[in-house]
Amino acid sequence: MPLPSSMFSKLVLPTMFVVLMAVTCSGQSTTGTVTMSATVSKFVEINSGGAVTLAGNSGGGVTTDGVVNTPLGVAINLGELGPSNTNSFVTASVPLKLRSNAPYVLSMSATVTSSGITASRIVSSDVGFGLGTVSRTGTGVNTGGSDTNATSGDPTLPANGSVNATSGRYEFTAVRSNLSAFSSATTALNGAIIMNAVPRSNGNGLIVPASFAIKPQFFENGTTTISVTFTVTAP
Amino acid sequence: MSKITKGLMLALATTTFLMMTAAVTFAQTTGSVTMNATVSNYVQLTSGGAVTLTGNSGGSVVTDGTADSPLAVVVNLGELGPSNSNSFVKLSAPLRLKSNVAYQLNMVSSVAGAGATAYSLDDSDVGFGLTPAARPANLAAGADTNATPGDPTVGGSTDVNGRWVFAGANSSLGSYAVSGVVLNGPRINKAVSSTTSTSLDVPAIFAIKPQFFDPAPAITITAQFTVVAL
Repeated sequence: MPLPSSMFSKLVLPTMFVVLMAVTCSGQSTTGTVTMSATVSKFVEINSGGAVTLAGNSGGGVTTDGVVNTPLGVAINLGELGPSNTNSFVTASVPLKLRSNAPYVLSMSATVTSSGITASRIVSSDVGFGLGTVSRTGTGVNTGGSDTNATSGDPTLPANGSVNATSGRYEFTAVRSNLSAFSSATTALNGAIIMNAVPRSNGNGLIVPASFAIKPQFFENGTTTISVTFTVTAP
Repeated sequence: MSKITKGLMLALATTTFLMMTAAVTFAQTTGSVTMNATVSNYVQLTSGGAVTLTGNSGGSVVTDGTADSPLAVVVNLGELGPSNSNSFVKLSAPLRLKSNVAYQLNMVSSVAGAGATAYSLDDSDVGFGLTPAARPANLAAGADTNATPGDPTVGGSTDVNGRWVFAGANSSLGSYAVSGVVLNGPRINKAVSSTTSTSLDVPAIFAIKPQFFDPAPAITITAQFTVVAL
């Protein structure tokens, strides 16, 4: 029997429309997301700040010099440290370059070994040490950050040492002014974030000279090896 | 009434009934079918396939894109600090668009958990760009207008402070803190089946230059794309 036209228009057409709309809309996606997670970890770095300066030496020389922005692996022959060296001090200034995206602590540990066997051999307290003026300069460096130097600076300064009136031996007497203060890892410098948000390829950083000094004296003859290790951390 | 008269009245009534019946029968011999329909504006955004992650240190693709599925990619970009010595951490996420009308693709983005100092990673440190190719012949003719400069790893330089800056306008998420246009164009598809595999596939590229950013253990970068019909 033919379907009445009124039934077609009132029932069938709306049904077809709904079905068509459902088919059309079911697969339509108009939004999407890309979600990325990431991390910025604390970063601290120590490198050479450049060439070593050796002065007051008699014989000796820089065996492996520092090269700026490369790992610190300096080797120096200090030469003669006995009384035949008439210089006031044998000094070695080693530039350090530090970089960080967080507050840092620079610590140092040192050992002094000598072939001597008496009290007159060179020992760690005979090796003066201090960190010099800290420089925060250059594009990308956090120039507003402050640093705390735990050493007494240049060990050759008169204020940092003198001849012991009793023993006659020259002694570095100021706070953390010789390597005996660093027989175990001890803080030498600490401070605020060094670098602003710049790429690692930025070559700037915090420069600080590490100064070592030995007063030539009537030490027991022999050979001496002084080994110093710097470590920077982000506490 | 005579018998003759009664006979005439009966014959007349019978004839009238037959004629009326015939008339009704004739009116039911034709009919019509009327159909109404609509073709609505249709725009669709889905994933264009697997993402590509490069230059990462410790990152990975958590939820990959699947072609023709809803776009819901999740990626761990890994380390963005200076210990990552790569030039860029780069993510390419293919987008797939279909439409029967002119379209506009918008994006809005956010960066969270990175810190709040001047040296924290922010949205301008996340490079962004689309790299659409010319439409193939199986799509409707027309050109798409890219509002971004393209691959964000091309160009760019350090600013006066030494911080990396992506080249050109709309080249970083800093331009999309509120929804903005990234791509638009005329109708994409020809009049083809809704199941067609033809589509406009556009790589969306995100890039970050590892830098001395403030340490941050859990950074979240979100980009939401929306396609609308013009």
